[in-house]
Amino acid sequence: MALINVAAREIHCKIVYYGPGMGGKTTNLQYIHSQVPKDVKGDLLSIATETERTLFFDFLPLDLGKVRGFQTRFHLYTVPGQVLYERTRVAVLNGADGVVFVADSSKQKMQENVNSLRELAQNVTRQNKRFAEFPIVLQYNKRDLPAEVIASVQTMDHFLGVNRMNWPRIEAVATTGAGVFETLRAISRAVISKL
Amino acid sequence: MDPQLTSIIVPTEELGQIEECLGRLVEDTGSDYALLLDKSGQVISSKGDGDRQDITALGALIAGVFASSREVAKLLRERDFRASFQQGVRENIFIALIEEQWILCIIFNKGTHIGLVKVLTKKATDELASVLERVRQQHKARDEVLGSSFRTSMEDTIDLLFRD
Ligand SMILES: Nc1nc2c(ncn2[C@@H]2O[C@H](COP(=O)(O)OP(=O)(O)O)[C@@H](O)[C@H]2O)c(=O)[nH]1
Ligand SMILES: [Mg+2]
Repeated sequence: MALINVAAREIHCKIVYYGPGMGGKTTNLQYIHSQVPKDVKGDLLSIATETERTLFFDFLPLDLGKVRGFQTRFHLYTVPGQVLYERTRVAVLNGADGVVFVADSSKQKMQENVNSLRELAQNVTRQNKRFAEFPIVLQYNKRDLPAEVIASVQTMDHFLGVNRMNWPRIEAVATTGAGVFETLRAISRAVISKL
Repeated sequence: MDPQLTSIIVPTEELGQIEECLGRLVEDTGSDYALLLDKSGQVISSKGDGDRQDITALGALIAGVFASSREVAKLLRERDFRASFQQGVRENIFIALIEEQWILCIIFNKGTHIGLVKVLTKKATDELASVLERVRQQHKARDEVLGSSFRTSMEDTIDLLFRD
């Protein structure tokens, strides 16, 4: 849940980027970090293995400045995607206000997407939160993949149950930044609506 | 609405009590720094010498470490690790959980004995637990705190800052 500090007049929100390994979560944060104004962003902190895979999490604090007198901060996290790190994902998800689910548009990755989303639902529920009410935005990343390997948006909608859940869904190419800020705006709005 | 989804609001009076408690803990133990986090890693309050630039990252990392150790506890079928201690060459860190909700973290050096830190931290966590209870019990409407136009202003800010 968000933290509202009345005396210090501060609001903190935590947003977690979740999804299968190699889907583009870290790339999302790197792009955001490269684009937002200096006075807004803190350092991008990555705890990674030597081979650059996320080991624990990436962390990017964003300071939105004063909104109606409240200093507002968004903390963005990514989780490590590999199956091995399930418990680490639970740890990072702790206290999240909203989740961006980064799905990989490669046909081959459809089952991994589905498994990861299912795991997310489980982990949110375990934190005594109602999954149906929990702010979630889906990002279909890697829309630049060649036609023979990319899954259609309809196929992905079908597999991930988008229509049933009424989640916002955004197509993206995180490496070029396409859709990255649209995703961030969507999840921010969803989180704000629950404050 | 789902109680887990609503915000935690820390009022002025309770924050004052928290700051006082942290200040006393730092002073009585001779520690360098005391830090209160919520379990998501957000810093609620901190006390100590100097202005730490890295405090936000510190909060995120400590909460991560603590959440991980709780998962370790589950795997070991240990009910919970209530506290953890990390020993460095210069600095030591003692971390204690408060009511599954907040994390109290004390950073101290060789000059301070861990035993003293443990005892006084226990006292402080009891005190903070009752403050937390009061925070929980207050059901101020969001709009009363934030003002009804907050959300609209917030959305404008988001649109302004989060764009290519
Ligand atoms: N073609 C393509 N590759 C991408 C895209 N986004 C990320 N990648 C690549 O996918 C790999 C994994 O990305 P990363 O952000 O580390 O994934 P994570 O495991 O979800 O954090 C990297 O080599 C990225 O360059 C995209 O939109 N299109
Ligand atoms: Mg990563």
